[in-house]
Amino acid sequence: MATRVLSQKEEDIQMMLSAAVHLGARNCDFQMERYVYKRRSDGVHIINLGKTWEKLQLAARVIVAIENPQDIIVQSARPYGQRAVLNFAQYTGAYSIAGRHTPGTFTNQLQTSFSEPRLLILTDPRTDHQPIKESALGNIPTIAFCDTDSPMRYVDIGIPANNKGKLSIGCLFWLLARMVLQMRGTIPLGRKWEVMVDLFFYRDPEEAKEQEEEEAPVAPDYGAMVPNDQWTTEQWMPDGGAVSAVEPPVTGVESTAGQAPVGAERWDAAAAPPMVAGAVAPGVPPVAAPSGWE
Amino acid sequence: MAERGGGDRGGFGRGFGRGRGDRGRGDRGRGRGRGGRRGGRRDEEEKWVPVTKLGRLVKEGKITSLEQIYLHSLPVKEHQIIDTLLGGRLKDEVMKIMPVQKQTRAGQRTRFKAFVVVGDTDGHVGLGVKCAKEVATAIRGAIILAKLSVIPVRRGYWGNKIGKPHTVPCKITGKCGSVTVRMVPAPRGAGIVAARVPKKVLQFAGIEDVFTSSRGSTKTLGNFVKATFECLMKTYGFLTPDFWTETRFNKSPFQEYTDLLSKPTKAILIENTES
Repeated sequence: MATRVLSQKEEDIQMMLSAAVHLGARNCDFQMERYVYKRRSDGVHIINLGKTWEKLQLAARVIVAIENPQDIIVQSARPYGQRAVLNFAQYTGAYSIAGRHTPGTFTNQLQTSFSEPRLLILTDPRTDHQPIKESALGNIPTIAFCDTDSPMRYVDIGIPANNKGKLSIGCLFWLLARMVLQMRGTIPLGRKWEVMVDLFFYRDPEEAKEQEEEEAPVAPDYGAMVPNDQWTTEQWMPDGGAVSAVEPPVTGVESTAGQAPVGAERWDAAAAPPMVAGAVAPGVPPVAAPSGWE
Repeated sequence: MAERGGGDRGGFGRGFGRGRGDRGRGDRGRGRGRGGRRGGRRDEEEKWVPVTKLGRLVKEGKITSLEQIYLHSLPVKEHQIIDTLLGGRLKDEVMKIMPVQKQTRAGQRTRFKAFVVVGDTDGHVGLGVKCAKEVATAIRGAIILAKLSVIPVRRGYWGNKIGKPHTVPCKITGKCGSVTVRMVPAPRGAGIVAARVPKKVLQFAGIEDVFTSSRGSTKTLGNFVKATFECLMKTYGFLTPDFWTETRFNKSPFQEYTDLLSKPTKAILIENTES
């Protein structure tokens, strides 16, 4: 119950705890033993998040050292990591491969998808074993999120973490992206990143569909609520395109009586404007969001 | 240097697949190599469009010697790289054409396996093995594979360090199948004391004096030649006291020339796929 102000590292670790990053697997690979704090009574290994954070920093430094970000490939065969990987690539300028890795992409120069990256980032050494094998042949250093039971062969920087849960994977990629951008100087240190973690989480296709269906009824509300004299066009504009906006723009606009069946949703904008016009960015999936993520 | 073998091993000796991937330049116009190259068709030689990063760097002239490639253990996938860097100094020789057969219900299906050794007689050798339905195709393919597998050979002295290195730096041995080939440093003037087959390879490597000893079924030329090749690979893998000093690491050429490499080559690629 820290009531004092938390440092960046401590905040991150709180976030990781709520995303269950620290929960490893029931087995432990011998090379991952150094990152394990303890084994719980039900067999689950607990990962030392302090070490995870430091490994994340190390990985971020390596990523920043590559001058051309296009030479980095982020990959995930598993569906849980695909959204995270795509967004990570978008924000850091890397190249992402989601889904099946065609064997020979790094080794067969005659293939159309042939590429020679300078760095490879993977979500799971076990499911993404094919790119690991190929990068070994092509002198490509590899960073991977390793669970306690992940094989570490040919993985150069292993970040100990839970790579089985969707919250965990999303959280890790978000943290890594933020660290990279901070180190590059694109985001100033100390300030919160406007991009939300939720963007990196995997959405089930049904969940995604529900989300879109919720957005539809909200749009007509706009028309109903707004008498012309009350609102100026400047206040109106930022909201206009917001229905499908991914990042919730924090508008200072206050709606009159609670417009928001949607406004009661669980996302929190940072500076907590009193009641934001509710239709803004329902692009956030209803996360079973534990608190502590402001 | 020791790692180079690992990256390259896949290329030589397995024959199929890789050698075929000639970039559609058609007939190379090279005859059966009994040493040297014929004139060849000038304009076809110029049209190399590199696919790999290394290829691009070599074409631009940023990489001037093979040693830079060896230093960073970069896999060589395009034989034109070796051509550009070693150019006219490279000689090739067909060691053997071996007909191999497979039984089908309509008789035997014969293919020809060509063993080609390539080298400038100054520290670089390559060995290529290729099997194809026609002899000429096999030889062509084997030459390409041999170029891809070019390896640096370390030479040393037998006794006093006068003049240029002339022999193997130490006793080394290579093995392939049942054949083991052992090379022992020899004094100047001894010449290459070896059987016909390894003698050829050692000549191409630029070793002037050496004593050899072999064991196993040296009749199998394939294994014999591969064993000497492996032996030569090991010359740079052997840690001698001159390597005891700490290495100063250089930037990999991919890092150094990253700006050049990041320039898009899309236009060239499209052109290539159309042709």
